[in-house]
Amino acid sequence: MSIQMRRALSTAVCGVAFLWASAGQAAEPGSPVSFVNDISPILTKAGCNSGSCHAKAGSGQRGFKLSLLGFEPQEDYEHIVKEGRGRRVFPAAPEESLLVLKAANTVPHGGGMRLDPQSEGYRQLVRWIAEGMAFGKDSDPKLTSIDVEPKRMTLPVHSSQQLKVTAHYSDNSTRDVTPLALYEPNDKSMAETDEAGLVRTLDIPGNVAVMVRYQGKVSVSSASIPLGATVENLPPSKNFIDDLIFANLKRIGVPPSPVCDDSTFLRRVSLDIAGRLPTLEETKAFLASPSPDKRDQAIESLLSSSDYADFFANKWTAILKNKRDEASDITANFAFHSWVRDSLLANKPYDEMVRQLLAATGTIVDNPAVAWYKRVKEPNQQMEDVAQLFLGVRMQCAQCHHHPFERWSQWDYYSLTAFFTQVGRKPTSTAGEDLIFHKRGIAQTENKKTRLPVKPAALGTPTLEIPPDDDPRLRLADWMSDKTNPFLAKSLVNRYWKHFFKRGLIEPEDDIRDTNPPTNPELLDALARDFTEHNFDLKSVIRVITQSHTYQLSAMPNEHNAVDRQNFSHYYPRRMQAEVLLDAVNQLTGASSDFGDLPPGTRAISLPDNSYNRSSPFLKVFGRPESSSVCECERVQASSLAQSLHLMNAADVKAKLTMGNGVAESLTKSELPEPEKLQQLYLTAFSRAPTAEELQVAGDSVLKVRTNAQGQPLDPQQSKRMGYEDLLWALINTKEFLFNH
Amino acid sequence: MIPKISLLLSLAVLSLRLTAPGIAQQVCLPSPRLLTMMPMGGQAGTNVEVTISGEYLEDVSELSFSSPKITAKPVLGPDGKMVENKFLITIAPDAPIGVHDARVMSRMGISSARVFSIGSLPEITRIKPNTSLETALALPVNSVCNGVMTNRAVDYYSFQGINGKRIAVDCAALGIDSKLNPVVIIADAKGRDLLVNRTGGALDFTPTADGTYLIKLQSLTFQGGPQQFYRLALQEISGSGPIPRQASTAKVSSFSWPPVGAPAGPVLAETEPNNLPAQAQKITLPCDIGGNFFPAADVDTFEFSARKDEVWWVEVGSERLGLPTDPFVLVQRVTKEGEKETLTDVAELYDIPSPMKVTINGYSYDGPPYNAGSPDVLGKVEIKEDGVYRLEVRDLFGGTRNDPGNHYRLIVRQAAPDFSLVAWAVHMELRNGDRSALSKPIALRGGAGMAFEVVVVRRDGFDDDIELGMEDLPAGVSARGLKIPAGKVQGMMIISAAQNAPRSFGIAKMFGRAQINGASVTRPCRLASMEWPVKDASTEKIPSPRLVADVPISITDAEQASVSIVAAENKVWESKVGETLKIPLKVTWNSEFTGSSLKMKTYGAGFEAVKEFDIPLNAPAAEAVIDLAALKTPPGEFSIAFYGTAVVNYRYNPASIKVAEESQKKAMDDATAQTAEAQRLANEAAAAPPEKKADADNAAKLALEKQKQAEAALAEAGKRLKSATDAAAPVDMTEIFVSEPIRLAIKAAEVANTTPPAPAK
Repeated sequence: MSIQMRRALSTAVCGVAFLWASAGQAAEPGSPVSFVNDISPILTKAGCNSGSCHAKAGSGQRGFKLSLLGFEPQEDYEHIVKEGRGRRVFPAAPEESLLVLKAANTVPHGGGMRLDPQSEGYRQLVRWIAEGMAFGKDSDPKLTSIDVEPKRMTLPVHSSQQLKVTAHYSDNSTRDVTPLALYEPNDKSMAETDEAGLVRTLDIPGNVAVMVRYQGKVSVSSASIPLGATVENLPPSKNFIDDLIFANLKRIGVPPSPVCDDSTFLRRVSLDIAGRLPTLEETKAFLASPSPDKRDQAIESLLSSSDYADFFANKWTAILKNKRDEASDITANFAFHSWVRDSLLANKPYDEMVRQLLAATGTIVDNPAVAWYKRVKEPNQQMEDVAQLFLGVRMQCAQCHHHPFERWSQWDYYSLTAFFTQVGRKPTSTAGEDLIFHKRGIAQTENKKTRLPVKPAALGTPTLEIPPDDDPRLRLADWMSDKTNPFLAKSLVNRYWKHFFKRGLIEPEDDIRDTNPPTNPELLDALARDFTEHNFDLKSVIRVITQSHTYQLSAMPNEHNAVDRQNFSHYYPRRMQAEVLLDAVNQLTGASSDFGDLPPGTRAISLPDNSYNRSSPFLKVFGRPESSSVCECERVQASSLAQSLHLMNAADVKAKLTMGNGVAESLTKSELPEPEKLQQLYLTAFSRAPTAEELQVAGDSVLKVRTNAQGQPLDPQQSKRMGYEDLLWALINTKEFLFNH
Repeated sequence: MIPKISLLLSLAVLSLRLTAPGIAQQVCLPSPRLLTMMPMGGQAGTNVEVTISGEYLEDVSELSFSSPKITAKPVLGPDGKMVENKFLITIAPDAPIGVHDARVMSRMGISSARVFSIGSLPEITRIKPNTSLETALALPVNSVCNGVMTNRAVDYYSFQGINGKRIAVDCAALGIDSKLNPVVIIADAKGRDLLVNRTGGALDFTPTADGTYLIKLQSLTFQGGPQQFYRLALQEISGSGPIPRQASTAKVSSFSWPPVGAPAGPVLAETEPNNLPAQAQKITLPCDIGGNFFPAADVDTFEFSARKDEVWWVEVGSERLGLPTDPFVLVQRVTKEGEKETLTDVAELYDIPSPMKVTINGYSYDGPPYNAGSPDVLGKVEIKEDGVYRLEVRDLFGGTRNDPGNHYRLIVRQAAPDFSLVAWAVHMELRNGDRSALSKPIALRGGAGMAFEVVVVRRDGFDDDIELGMEDLPAGVSARGLKIPAGKVQGMMIISAAQNAPRSFGIAKMFGRAQINGASVTRPCRLASMEWPVKDASTEKIPSPRLVADVPISITDAEQASVSIVAAENKVWESKVGETLKIPLKVTWNSEFTGSSLKMKTYGAGFEAVKEFDIPLNAPAAEAVIDLAALKTPPGEFSIAFYGTAVVNYRYNPASIKVAEESQKKAMDDATAQTAEAQRLANEAAAAPPEKKADADNAAKLALEKQKQAEAALAEAGKRLKSATDAAAPVDMTEIFVSEPIRLAIKAAEVANTTPPAPAK
């Protein structure tokens, strides 16, 4: 293609293309254009160095490789200016440079037009080439930070606000980089942004944050979106949670729902703490109790039960990857699950549990926490899991490049990994199981990119000089369990908050970073402070959460707060998780599950590992995780047609309804008056008595004379039994049963 | 003389053996094995009736123990005959508290050992199922319950707790040969868990209120059955010290502890705080110090002065005391420049390596599954300069553990060269998962040989030859050690039974002898064994090995070895360096074999490379050819043996068929007679006059009952005959066989006489 033809094509394309690059921040007039400070941001804004384009892992795109988001300007410069004998730039005719022709789509470009020839970015690029393609000088000012304005704002629904981003340099100069910065809201259902930094709110009230990125620096602008309704008649405050939640609701004008009734509370708190429905006896006693603090008493009773330990062990062992790959894993998995469960039962302080896990030594039988090292073998994987599980920090990105949304660099990644480099292993007589010990030596690892040794340093702290005899993992545990540690307590309380409220104060719950602020920062801080003041007592977190009126709000929205999804103005109902639902169905029907190896009747929440999913279609279809990820998102809580069909038609559910000595049979045989029997059923299923209408409809249904295939009436007892089976089936399939509400 | 007991037990056991599904080809011909006893212990000064079970146990006549303070006699029924499987054990009041080995004498000889525990508390035995809160068995405080874990269940016990009264719950299982990995839980009266231990079987509990409490006992993985037995002890304790534990068998690694001559306990105690260099406890060498790895991440630092060219040997005992620890010793030289202190590493002392490379995973063929090393420490510190030195002791497993029971003993001494020995039956290269060879008793058939690997932990620089031997052998048994050469860690012991020897039994001793500093030193050699036979290592967990209490040996006359290989002459075979030695062998065949020949290899230090040779099947003689030139054998005396494996077409106890046939014939005769008698009396009753009718009817009824009993006995006899016939059906089994040892005397080659002949006179 001739140059003339290229120009003609370029003009034609530019005429129809709409591009971001209509503006660009010029280098100071008269000063040479610098690749680092001027060109790299342009390429980043144009998306050239995104992961899906020329920063794709491997060789980039069609032989042209750039570092992700321009984190390695030196390498990018080499690739642009020198690679292929300088074929990408042509200083004699800058606009004829391949780089420019491709960016402007003057010659065919798989990425289309990234720079409009009319844009400031285009002009800068051409000028840079014309000036001889300076990389920049050591004396050039270095980018030190960025600021976004406004930092905090209150925006009505369906309104907009332009952001302004200022870059700060080492020479104290500043530059407006608004057009070159990247913008991303943390909740796209609440706000959207355009490439120029304009924020538009949608129709959901609450708090939303817009992350702003520019050349590896990040900042955030938080917006409060009030609904504006009048907030009156707030429930009385039980503790600091209520103070902070209700203050926020007042601020944004979202009135909370009232506190729920006793039945709802008992069912909710039993499911959330003990992973089970309250028993009939518990429900009757609770509803009949006149005690003003009976809710707090119920919480204490649940917290002191082994059901609490079973349920939370189920939660933790899944994300600690207690996975059965081989039949011979059984001992390790049972031991590890038991270690977690028993630690919770004994209410071992959380920091102590974490210490025992991450600094475990010995054999699995003598010290079951060692089993974690059986499943997580490599130091970098150990570090990544520990960071995500216990610190709420996702370090994975920083292995290969500076974390795009975070302040963590590769140095941070490897220095955190270095804590795990002195984990010694000796083989045992059990295939695949190692004995773990501290291997004497200086802990350090190699930065895979720079090939330089890196010594241990915790996040945001200087490098530690750890003597060769000290187990570096203990030093890491010391740092984590320090009460001033900014991560451990926050991560835990956020994870537990989500357990009780369906949604974390930070979402996802294990992605805590400056650019993903909590929806209620004061509350997160207060919860973390309360946790550390209670010496990392896990039960104290649960106690303070469940005692709050915020937790006890009704799930029924009022006329204003139905749209609220993050301010906890009402309880957010959620489907029971697989294990809890299976146990609940068993409890209601009088059935029990029979899992191989385990005592008959073992409850699903007590299962030690994932291996039982294979034999239980119920657990599988309702999303029990396979324990292969540290992310709680592995548990599938989404609804599906298969779940509905399973509850309605599956053989295992049907068998529970019709089993001998089951609830249907025993109610049929019982000589209690029918209304009393129905009351029992409703109390068991919903923790409440049936309404008069329900009593009438259910009673009629149970007592209805049923006929056989020939149309002849069945024996009355048989007919009644079928009536109870039908009623159980109907109750199981109600949302009121399936959901914790 | 061994009285016979009924075949019933043996046939029942055999039928179980033969019906076990999915078992790979058996390795080793059947050996008698005592597998369970119930109860498996008793209180000193009491009598205990026990029920035993096992494999290949017929004609069980005696139950004996490794302690003379425990004796047993068969339980006799009302008819004066022995009751199958039952013995009455008498435990002397002064019987040592602890674990002892029990074994039975049977048709095939002495059985493998099973632990029998002696305690000081009264004992009960769990008889009825107690797998629910409602059926909890009341366990008196200060008692022991012997029980068997129920599969997929929890065993419940209840006890009365008193507010503030400390109690200890201790479940002995793995340490008494059980396969149970116990979990003990103390729960309230409603079954709600209060305190749990899954790693050691013990709980230290002080009730906070008077009342009923539960002990829930389960397997870690909810496995149960007769091999998962336990002894649950509940006792009140005072004070605040560690809770008492029931005795356990000794780990294999413990054979090398304590060093000979060490006093019973340490001389000094460590003094905390001594974690930091500045807190180092001042000591002088030599020393013998007791310490604890407590609290978590404890470091015990000691400081001493030493002079140039001193050599100190450091030994730590902890894991060999039965503790889950991994001691580590670091010695550093301390130099000071003003206030600045510099530490220079002098020695890092880690584990005592296993003398023989251990199989990497318990089922590969690259070594025995016994680790005779230890995580404990045994090493040398060479002092290069006069000065101050620091020695740190740590537990590499102790970073997060807070167990004051994890103690150690540190001995620093000048060189005291010595050695410790342990032996075990050879494993060989096995082609399938059967690991029975690792746990078989020394119950020899006539003409059989049994090979043992003997390994040594050498102390303090001792590196010379160790001759191996045995004494107190029963009649008809010979043993010869193939020595552990200087600088090596392994020798062999071959125990052989004479062909057609009469039955015999005895407790022998194995030992090693060496010259140390000019004196002859003899040290005992402990015997190790797996606790259980393993039929298929690919599906079963490899059981723990342990040291057995002594070395019982028997010869049976019930069978002869499948093949016996001995040198044609019982003599020392002489040869000279560089020559080829031919040894004629005499081979006696007593079974059918698969294949065409036996492939023979050679045991004996320096002779492992003897070229493999074949013995054609059923050949009465063979010849071993030893090329001394190729082996570069130096002058000296040596012992060697030939060994191999082959597939035997084996029939188990065919004689039992005849016994069963006779038994069945007798039952048939009885049944026929009883049928006729019943018919006769029925006819008489039918015809009896009214005044005699009642008596006649009664007689007829009794006769009919006897007829039914006889018919049942006949059916039972038929089953026994079938079982005996099935058991005796030919089965291919892989057998490990070894020749009688052969002694060689190799003399120096004659030097050619180069002196010119004397001139003729």
